[in-house]
Amino acid sequence: MISFINATCSFRKNAGVKNLNFSIDDGEFVFLTGPSGAGKSTLLRLIYMDLFPEKGKVLIRDYDSGKIKDRQIPFLRRKVGMIFQDFQLLKDRNVYQNVAISLYASHYKIREIKSRVYDILNQVGLGHRVHHKPTELSGGEQQRVAIARALVKEPIVLLADEPTGNLDPRVSIELMNLLHKINKKGTAVIVATHNYSLIKRVPGARLIQMNDGEIASIT
Amino acid sequence: MLRSKYSGAFSIIIIAISIIMVGFGYIIARDTLFMVENIRSQFDVDIFILTTAGSDDIAVFDKKLRRMNEIDRVIYISPEIAAEKFKKEFGEDILDILDYNPLPPSFTISLKPIYRNLMSVEAIANILQRDSVVDEVKYRKNFLIILEKYQRIILVCVLIVFAFLTLISIILTSNSIKMTIFARRDIILTMKLIGATNRFVKTPFVIEGTLEGGLGALLAGLIIYGIIYVQNTYLQSFFNYTLIVSYQYYIGLLLLGSFLGWIGSRQAIRRFL
Repeated sequence: MISFINATCSFRKNAGVKNLNFSIDDGEFVFLTGPSGAGKSTLLRLIYMDLFPEKGKVLIRDYDSGKIKDRQIPFLRRKVGMIFQDFQLLKDRNVYQNVAISLYASHYKIREIKSRVYDILNQVGLGHRVHHKPTELSGGEQQRVAIARALVKEPIVLLADEPTGNLDPRVSIELMNLLHKINKKGTAVIVATHNYSLIKRVPGARLIQMNDGEIASIT
Repeated sequence: MLRSKYSGAFSIIIIAISIIMVGFGYIIARDTLFMVENIRSQFDVDIFILTTAGSDDIAVFDKKLRRMNEIDRVIYISPEIAAEKFKKEFGEDILDILDYNPLPPSFTISLKPIYRNLMSVEAIANILQRDSVVDEVKYRKNFLIILEKYQRIILVCVLIVFAFLTLISIILTSNSIKMTIFARRDIILTMKLIGATNRFVKTPFVIEGTLEGGLGALLAGLIIYGIIYVQNTYLQSFFNYTLIVSYQYYIGLLLLGSFLGWIGSRQAIRRFL
């Protein structure tokens, strides 16, 4: 589903990735670990094509980083869900609107948007927080809104960049359980984290260790 | 939302200031050029007829003048009318002074606006001078020379001022809209991440920019209307100047504001897409 073929990307001095060669299959759960600056976020950005490799290529299903056109990128991103450490929610919109916007952008019909949004919010345990603004929610709840927003469009893969970075240990574990649950339903999940204790929460997950922009090990 | 409201209101005010500058720039340019043209319209050419010319000759010459495309208006001044004018101007009857009327018959002609320049006037005067009934063709040559010299300077100054005000207004409008959009760049980035197309992201901002431009122009129109009202009602006698603008002027301002808002928001959003 996702393949890195000799992918090298150095968008900034001393930051980036070098000669990445690996694949991720449908429905896999993958942890990316390594110290800060190891290239975890760069690798994720290459997947949602916010960055492009200057050498090699990245393939996501039919999308080839070397051939994709600017106008095709939104369509790729509709198949890739993303969550971030800082949640990136729209603070002036409520929970429902934050999740629904993902479907509005993909031109879904209003009725379908409504049913999908309520359904996904119930799945992440936020059915009762529909009309709250992000600022009225806890960090864990905000991250669950971000997850709902990413999942509502039924992506093939969910990318999580340090998703527990702003959360306390108890909420982090809850979040990891939620991601595990999502994965069990068939969505591939890639989590970039340097919190090793979380990795143990997902038995059978693949672990890609990165160091200085290169893959140190894959287990 | 509050931040967005404030930045939106700020944009509208900046656009209003810009439109006021362009609006008054236009009025100043228009009225200055109108004033110059008004001075020029007072330019006449006097044609003095030989005293020996008979009334038939004068009638033929009168017809000739009226047929000329370059001439807008022809006034015949007979010796009797000339004597009356003399009496009005100098307070004495020329017949009492000289016992006879030495004033020749004459014509005063006004040229059409496009011929009110030194080159055309000289050419027309030369043609008229060659006619057998004409004694002398007189016009204020120096007046035309000075007027043409200063008209060019005035025209250039007015155009520079107007262009400068327009440029400033475009920069101000564009930057204020950029600031509004910059304040909400997180929305744009998030929208892009969730797979929104550029068009989907851009459309609301462009609509908002156009509306802000229109509202700014509306505010500017109200302020200009108020200033014109105060000038014409309370200050007209003081400045001896009446400001006149048509409703098309206000429609023009509205369209200009909306256009500036539209183009400004399109330019500003492009940076984030």
